[in-house]
Amino acid sequence: MAMADEHPVRKPNKPFYFNTSENLLRIGRQKATNVSELWQALQTCPDDSIFQHTFRTLQEHHFIRQGFSNDFAHWCLSACNEPVLAEQLASVDVREFTDIEGLRRRMVGIVNEFLQQHPQSGTKPAHEPFYFCAASIVVLPTQFAPDTLPGFVDGLRHVSLHSIHHHFIEARLRLHQMSNDFSNWLEQEVGLTQAAESIERIDIYTNTMEGVRHQIATIVEQALN
Amino acid sequence: MKTEEQRATIADSAAGLPTEAQAAENRGGIVSPHAIPAEPGRAKTRPLPASVLTPPPPAPSPRLDDYRDIIGQAQVDALRFLARDLKGKSIKMVNSTAVGGGVAEMLNRLVPLLSELEVPTHWDVITGGNDFFEVTKAFHNALHGSSYELTKSAQEIFLMYNEQNRERLQFEEEMVVIHDPQPVGLIRSRDKTPAGWVWRCHIDLSNPDARVWEFLRPFVEQYDAAIFSSQSFARQLPIPQYLFYPCIDPLSEKNKELPDSVVQKVCDDFGIDRSRPIVTQVSRFDRLKDPVGVVHGYKLAKKYVDCQLVLAGGGASDDPEGAVVLQEVKEAAGNDPDIIILDLPPWCAFEINAIQRASTIVVQKSLKEGFGLTVTEALWKGKPTIAGAVGGIPNQIIHQLTGVLVHSVEGCAFQIRYLLTHPDFAKRIGASGREHVKENFLMTTNVKRWLLLFRILEEAKARGTAR
Repeated sequence: MAMADEHPVRKPNKPFYFNTSENLLRIGRQKATNVSELWQALQTCPDDSIFQHTFRTLQEHHFIRQGFSNDFAHWCLSACNEPVLAEQLASVDVREFTDIEGLRRRMVGIVNEFLQQHPQSGTKPAHEPFYFCAASIVVLPTQFAPDTLPGFVDGLRHVSLHSIHHHFIEARLRLHQMSNDFSNWLEQEVGLTQAAESIERIDIYTNTMEGVRHQIATIVEQALN
Repeated sequence: MKTEEQRATIADSAAGLPTEAQAAENRGGIVSPHAIPAEPGRAKTRPLPASVLTPPPPAPSPRLDDYRDIIGQAQVDALRFLARDLKGKSIKMVNSTAVGGGVAEMLNRLVPLLSELEVPTHWDVITGGNDFFEVTKAFHNALHGSSYELTKSAQEIFLMYNEQNRERLQFEEEMVVIHDPQPVGLIRSRDKTPAGWVWRCHIDLSNPDARVWEFLRPFVEQYDAAIFSSQSFARQLPIPQYLFYPCIDPLSEKNKELPDSVVQKVCDDFGIDRSRPIVTQVSRFDRLKDPVGVVHGYKLAKKYVDCQLVLAGGGASDDPEGAVVLQEVKEAAGNDPDIIILDLPPWCAFEINAIQRASTIVVQKSLKEGFGLTVTEALWKGKPTIAGAVGGIPNQIIHQLTGVLVHSVEGCAFQIRYLLTHPDFAKRIGASGREHVKENFLMTTNVKRWLLLFRILEEAKARGTAR
């Protein structure tokens, strides 16, 4: 939780424009029927496929607090019965990456290392194939564009979870920074540096998205008070 | 829909319900038109109350704001924002039937909602003779994997009626959506219009008869996009393929909230004891739904936990095979007074709703399934759900997170025992199941997908990248 910032809170220079993103799922051409094929397809599938199965799946499953980090990990466990690989893939935090290519390399590396150690697992057929999909994204405005901190908290509490995901998780791919829209705005426009850092440290993998929303709002309210 | 004669038969049977004493002795008389005399060791279907003997009047279509309490104002706003740039542009939906079946039911809700968002949507239905619909029914079965000899005559009939409809119908809208294979040949009109053309396939194409698919494929490839209900149903096509999960309407008779008193009354009418655990499967009496397997699973579980089993289905009255399956179920059930078999008319959406809401656990132990909207209904009601890992069910049930997947009678039995003895876990997966439906399988999400697709096609047209 945020401690009292050293600098006084200032009126924001610019409003925070709450946007949201909506996604349409495309079925890709690639599929994997075993771990070896997964490894191959991970190297060649489009960027927006990696995005769909890592970033966007967190929005699709925003209500799950445990046991679901990304689609690749889930498939390795549920369809391939490879818990070791599943855990290793699940440990990847998408927020460590500011571009898809880095995330892809990490995933490919994990699977490659697993296959080196367990070559017999590579061709074991999965219960069901993994279908690579991709998201077509449309960004939309919302009615919330607060220029005060109380207004920002109000917006936080009323926007959709898609909006929270858009600003908190997807933002780093837009910004190419290890940060998110909320923290950026709080730090740059309002001077709440510690609150910004506290928000950035929220663990999305042990919280539901609703829980993340609540934590962000609480951090800002505490900083306000 | 039932014929007048069939409805009269049911009503006559209802009028001849056993006396209270007889009902107490028999645990229910038989009202189904396929009623059989009571035999020792064979269960009976429960008598149906008079309220279900005739179809109810259709409910009015909800408006977008009616969904606000369910999906939140922010999501309603998102729909309005999505539609804003499409105002004045229109959509044509074409399918093969105005009544009956999931597609018509879906369009009945979708079309008014899109039109309310100022994206006028027109719904046309193709016409054809009995020969056409016999051919398309054969195509339907063949596309699901049945073997079929595709004759020249069948092809000519198919093409002839598609051509007749093509000449009859106007395509003045900006997006034309053709549902399922029956009207797929209408794509031959695309060059006459600037519209984007979309083929919406509602069936499982994962294992089609090769000849029928090769006949239809050239039509499909001319569309700007195709839509499937599951990744596994899609084919390798040179056009974009989108994933639109089937959806439920949370405000329909089947899914709307019901007061507890109403749920209680329905249970009282059917002799379901709400003071004890209730395990329910809602499905046609069809071997692919494995109702006999559910009975066996229940009996295995009953050695450890007390519960009742409700098998609420239909189809036995108008499907000879359904009647046979119903008899198989009754034989498997035997004399167990805690197995409640309900052979319901097809218009009992309200009663199904109440029974699902009264249930402690819902089961859908299908051996083969399309998407499995009965699973969606159960998840929406927050019910811990046990289901076969087939068809589209794994899209809905993430094992042990939004429900549990099983692969055998024994697996089903164990999960019944586990969920009945771990109510906290059951409640948790029930709650997650509901959230999963809210995010992915509601009618409003379907509306959103159509708006998104329309925008994407319009943007492609504007960029000059449309086909």
